[in-house]
Amino acid sequence: MTLPASLLEAVASAAVREGLADAVFTRLPTPIGKLLVVTGSRGIVRVGFEEEPEDRVLAEIAGALGPRVVASDRELADVRDALSAYLEGDSTSLSLPVDLELVRAPFRRQVLETLHDTVRRGEVVTYGALAGRSGRPKAFRAAATACARNPVPIVVPCHRVLPGSGGIGNYGGGPARKRALLTLEGAL
Amino acid sequence: MKALPPFWSLVEAHGDELLAHARRMAGPDHAEDVLQDAFLRALRAYPRLRHGDHLRAWLYRVTTTAAIDAHRSRPREQPFAEPPAVGVEDAYDAGAFEALISPLPEAAREPLRLRFVEDLDYDGIAGRLGVSPAAARQRVSTAVRTLRERHAA
Repeated sequence: MTLPASLLEAVASAAVREGLADAVFTRLPTPIGKLLVVTGSRGIVRVGFEEEPEDRVLAEIAGALGPRVVASDRELADVRDALSAYLEGDSTSLSLPVDLELVRAPFRRQVLETLHDTVRRGEVVTYGALAGRSGRPKAFRAAATACARNPVPIVVPCHRVLPGSGGIGNYGGGPARKRALLTLEGAL
Repeated sequence: MKALPPFWSLVEAHGDELLAHARRMAGPDHAEDVLQDAFLRALRAYPRLRHGDHLRAWLYRVTTTAAIDAHRSRPREQPFAEPPAVGVEDAYDAGAFEALISPLPEAAREPLRLRFVEDLDYDGIAGRLGVSPAAARQRVSTAVRTLRERHAA
């Protein structure tokens, strides 16, 4: 596509201003690969790693939030700056509003909220401990599922959740990314 | 029936050809404004579409309408404010307009020229065509509809 970026940005900004956008996305190059970042009305709803087909992620967004999905680097400039600074090591805090709209199951949502609110940079937690903090100490499998299906990785830090049996465990973005994130945060 | 795809995937898939269409309709100076307006009109209407079929043709129709409305609302050129060496038709890219309407029969082309190139009102068009103002309005509106259908096909 060769449409002028100024035209595309003008359309997206007007759409946001007029309340016409159900979701806004941006593509962001980072040290752990290109990210697709999608925001809804209340915050970030989805972060996709570059292996995830973009059309599938955006179709999922259109189905859940509405079809008026637009792209804008300018509207998401704050989100881009915060994620870039964090992943490039220029900032040690990442505080961005998150919207767990895509997580339908109440306990999985509870787990991700607990993870977002209580597990800070440099800390790690086991799936069992996270289940306990979320109110169901025996539900470590459900906690693992919640992490595996986390729609907003990095921002909701499922990379900080490790198996009780040792090792780095699984990660939606692959174990190498999990290790890179934990190394960046000084947890490994 | 298909679900509605994310709007931006349509923008990215068809944006280039729609800009070319806007250029043919409105000339190079106005094409980007027309397309921007067309995308916003499309976005406003998008959730009310009942299915995701024929979206490319729909976007062509929206762009055509935006180009025509932009032409109507644009302040009339001041042909006497500058030397006649710069013809007023330059502002409208007359060649582009002729190319656009070329698939239509002459009976449809003439009312379109009178309306959109010469910028006549319906009384003026009626006088030139030798018909009533109501008939003139009817001919322009039929020609515009035919044009939209041609470009949506």
